[in-house]
Amino acid sequence: MSPLRLIARDELRLMLRNRVAVIAFALLVLLTLVAVATSWSHQRGVAELRARQQAAAEAAFDAQPDRHPHRVVHYGHFIFRPLGPLAAFDPGVDAFTGNSMFLEGHRQNSANFGDVRQSSLLVRFGQLTPAFVLQAVAPLLLIFLGFGVIARERERGTLQPLMLQGASRGQIVAGKLGALGLVALLAGLPAMLGFALIAGQPDALAAPMAVIALGYAAWLALWTVAIVLVSALVRRSRDALLALLAVWAVVVVLLPRVAPDIASAAYPLANRLQTDIAIARDLRGMGDSHNPDDPYFARFKQSVLARYGVTRIEDLPVNYKGLLALEGEKMTSSLFDRYAGESFAAQANQNALVSTIGMLSPAIGLRDLSMAAAGTDFTGHRRFLEQAEAYRYDLVQRLNRLQAEAVSYANDTAGDAGADRRKRVSGNHWQAMPEFKFRQPDGATLADAALPGLAVVLMWLGAVSILLFLATRRLGVR
Amino acid sequence: MRLWMHELRLLLRARLALFALLLLGALTIAGIVAGIAEVERQRTAIEAIAKPQAEDIGAIAAWVDKSRDPGSAAYYSFHPTWDPPSPLAFAAIGMRDVAPYMLRVRALGLEAQVHDGDNFNPQLALPGRFDFAFVLVFLAPLFVIALFHDLASGEREAGRARMLDALPGTRRRLWLRRGGLRFALLFVALALPFATAAVLSGASLVAILAILSVTAAYLLFWIALSVLVSRLRWSSVANAATLAACWLVLVLVLPTLGHVAINRAITVDQGAEIALAQREAVNRAWDIPREETMRRFYASHPHWAGSPPLPVDFHYKWYFAFHQVGDESVADRVRAYRTGLEQRGAAARTLGWVLPSVGVQAILTRLAQTDLSAQLAYQDRIRAYHARLREFYYGYLFNDRPFCQSDFAAAPRFEP
Repeated sequence: MSPLRLIARDELRLMLRNRVAVIAFALLVLLTLVAVATSWSHQRGVAELRARQQAAAEAAFDAQPDRHPHRVVHYGHFIFRPLGPLAAFDPGVDAFTGNSMFLEGHRQNSANFGDVRQSSLLVRFGQLTPAFVLQAVAPLLLIFLGFGVIARERERGTLQPLMLQGASRGQIVAGKLGALGLVALLAGLPAMLGFALIAGQPDALAAPMAVIALGYAAWLALWTVAIVLVSALVRRSRDALLALLAVWAVVVVLLPRVAPDIASAAYPLANRLQTDIAIARDLRGMGDSHNPDDPYFARFKQSVLARYGVTRIEDLPVNYKGLLALEGEKMTSSLFDRYAGESFAAQANQNALVSTIGMLSPAIGLRDLSMAAAGTDFTGHRRFLEQAEAYRYDLVQRLNRLQAEAVSYANDTAGDAGADRRKRVSGNHWQAMPEFKFRQPDGATLADAALPGLAVVLMWLGAVSILLFLATRRLGVR
Repeated sequence: MRLWMHELRLLLRARLALFALLLLGALTIAGIVAGIAEVERQRTAIEAIAKPQAEDIGAIAAWVDKSRDPGSAAYYSFHPTWDPPSPLAFAAIGMRDVAPYMLRVRALGLEAQVHDGDNFNPQLALPGRFDFAFVLVFLAPLFVIALFHDLASGEREAGRARMLDALPGTRRRLWLRRGGLRFALLFVALALPFATAAVLSGASLVAILAILSVTAAYLLFWIALSVLVSRLRWSSVANAATLAACWLVLVLVLPTLGHVAINRAITVDQGAEIALAQREAVNRAWDIPREETMRRFYASHPHWAGSPPLPVDFHYKWYFAFHQVGDESVADRVRAYRTGLEQRGAAARTLGWVLPSVGVQAILTRLAQTDLSAQLAYQDRIRAYHARLREFYYGYLFNDRPFCQSDFAAAPRFEP
C-alpha cells in the first residue's frame, strides 16, 4: 500500500475514533436531511398555494359580469410569482420580494406580501435550506475535523519520523487532503441526494443543476485545501483552529453582511414616494387627457380626426374615449418603464458591487452562483417583474381597444339613467383575455448567469491550491 | 489593584487577546457607523418629503380649483405618512430595511394601499443587516470563545495549573480576577461605542441601561457556557471546537429551525387573499344598485345619512362610500391576519426565553422600535390618519360643499 493511502487511512481512522467528530458529522447529515425535507415541502406548499391563488384570481377575472371595459382596467388582475423547481434547494430572495402583484391601468404596483414581512424576526437569522447548510455549516464541520491534520503531527513531533520512514512531503499532504476530501464528499452527499430528488421534478433543468453541483463541490474542495494549508502553516493546532474559525466568520458571516451596506451607500435607490411624485409630475408635464384644453391631447385629437377624415369626434367610426385611453396608457407606461429601468439599473449596480467585493469572500461568489442557477436571484425577480409589466400593458391595452371598438362614443359620454347599461360589453370578453404565464428561463441562460460566481470560487480554489503546493515544499523545515 | 494591573499586562501581552479585543471594538464601531448611516438615510428621506409633496399638492390644487369638485380633490391627493426612526434604531435596524417607513395614502380604500412596500433591493436585504445587534448577537460570542476557551486548560497545558492551585487561598480569586478582567474588556469594547452613540442620538437613559444590561447578560451567558465546557477538563482545542459548535447551533441552526416551526404552527391567511377579497367587494359596487351601497354605508356611518340622495349621474360620495364598505367587508380577515402576525412575533419572543441569541435580538429590536410590533403600530397610525382623512373629505362630499384651493391646506396632517 502506498504511503499516501496509508496516511489517508490512518487519518480517517483517527477521525472515526474521535467521538465528537462522529457526532458532529451525524448532526450535519441530519441537519441536511431536515433542510432538504422542510425546504422541499415548503417550496411545494408555496407553489401549490400560488397556483391555487392564481387559479382563483383567473376565475374571478373571467367571472366578471357585463362591464364597461374601463371598469375592468381598474378591476385589474392579480398574478402570483411561480417558483422554479430549484427554489427548493436555494429559495434565494423569494421570501424578500413579495409574491403577488396587482396589475391595473395607469399604475405600476410593486410585488407585495413577501414572507419577510409576514414572519417573525427569526426570518432574518437565515433560512434552513440545503444551500444554507452547504454554504455555512459544512465548512465549519470540515474545520473541526481537519484543523489538526498536519499541525497535530508537528505539535506532537510525529512529522519528522513520518518523513524519516520514507513518506515524501507531497505524499503526507496528499494523504491528509485525501482523507479530509473524502469527509467533505460525504458531508456534501446528503444535500446532493436531496438535489437528485429535486431533479426528478418534471421541469428541473440539467445545465444549472450541473453548475450548482460543480460550484458546491469546488466550495467544499476549497475549504478542504484551505484547512490543510492553514494546518500546515501554523505551529500549533490550537492556532490553526482559531485562525480557521476567524477566516470562516469573516468570509461566511461578516463580509456578506458588510458588502450590502457598502453597495447601498455607493448606489442609492430612489424610494417609492420620490418615484411616485416624480412620475405624477412628469405626467402633468406630458399632458392631461382629462383636460379638454391640454395642448398635447388637442394635437392628438387633430391627428385622429385627420387619420379618419372626419371633423368631429362624434363622427369617428371608433370610440374616441377608448383611443384616448390607449394613448394615455402608452404614455404612462413609457414613464413607468423609464423609472423602473432606473431602479433596476441601480439595483444591478449594487449587486455588481457586492459581487466585486465577493472576490474577497468566495462565500458571496458561491451564493451568487447558487441563486443565479436556481433562478431565484434578483435577475430572476426582475424577469418576473418585467414579464408582469409586459402582461399588464398588453391586458390594459386590449381592454382599451375593446372600449374603442365595442362601446360607442355616444353611449360612453351619455349620463342618462339607462346609459350605464348601454356602456357595458358582454362578460364573454373577459374570458377571451390571455392568461399570465411566467416563462421560465432556459437552462443555458441560468447556467450562464452562474458562471461568474463559479469563476470566483474556482479562482480561490486555484489560489489556495498553489499556496498549499508552496507550503508543502517547506513542510518540516525549521 | 496591583494584581489587577498585573493581570491586565499579562492579558494584553498575549497577542491573540489584544488583537481580539481591538477587532471587537473596531467591528462594534463599524456596525454602529453602518447603523447610523442607514438611520440618517431614512431621516433624510423623510425630511425630503415636504418639498415635492407641496409641489404635487399645489399642482392638484390648481387643477381642482377650476371645478372645485371635492371628489377630485380627494381622489387625486395623496397624503404622506412616515415612521421616524427611534433614537436607538441605529443599534438594531430590525425590519426597517424591508418594511416601508414612508407611505402615501389617499382617502380611497385603505386595504389596497396599506400593504404596499417600498423599493428595496432584495438581494441586499437577504444576508441581514450589519448593525450593533448583529455584532452583539452573532460576533461577540465568538470573541468570548476566543478569550475563554483556554482559560483553565491553557494553564494546565502550560504546566502551571498545579502551581496555581497550590498557591494558598487565592485560587478562586485568581480565576475571578482573570475572568472578570476579560469580561470587563469585552464589555467595554461593545458598550463604550454603543453608549456613546446612544447618548449622542438622544436615547433615554433607561433604554441605554437596559441594552447595556442585556449586553452584559449575553456575554455572561457565553462565559458561563465556556466555564461549563472547561469543567469537562478537555484540551483547549476540544473546548474551542465544542464552543464553536454550540455557537453554530444556538445562533444559526436553532433560530432557522424555529422560524420553520413557527411559520408551520401558526398559519397566516396570506395577505394577498385580503387584497383579492377587498377588490371583489369594491368592484361589485358597480354591478349592484347604488342605493344598496349607500344603505350599507349609512348604516355604519349614520352621521352622513342626512346627505341628499344620489343624482342620476356619477357622484364621488358613492365612489368613496363603496371603497369604505369594501374595507369594512374585509375587516374580519384583516384582524385575523394581524392576529396571526402578532402570534408569530409572540412565538419568536417566547423562543427568546430559551435561545439567548433570539432573546437578545428581540429585546434590541423592541427597545429600538424596529420589530414587527413597531411595524404594526405604524400601520395603526396610518389607519387612524386615514380615518381622519376620510372624515375630512366626507365633510365636503356629503354636504356638497365646494373644495377650494385654500381647503387643501386644511386637510389633516399626519403626526408620527
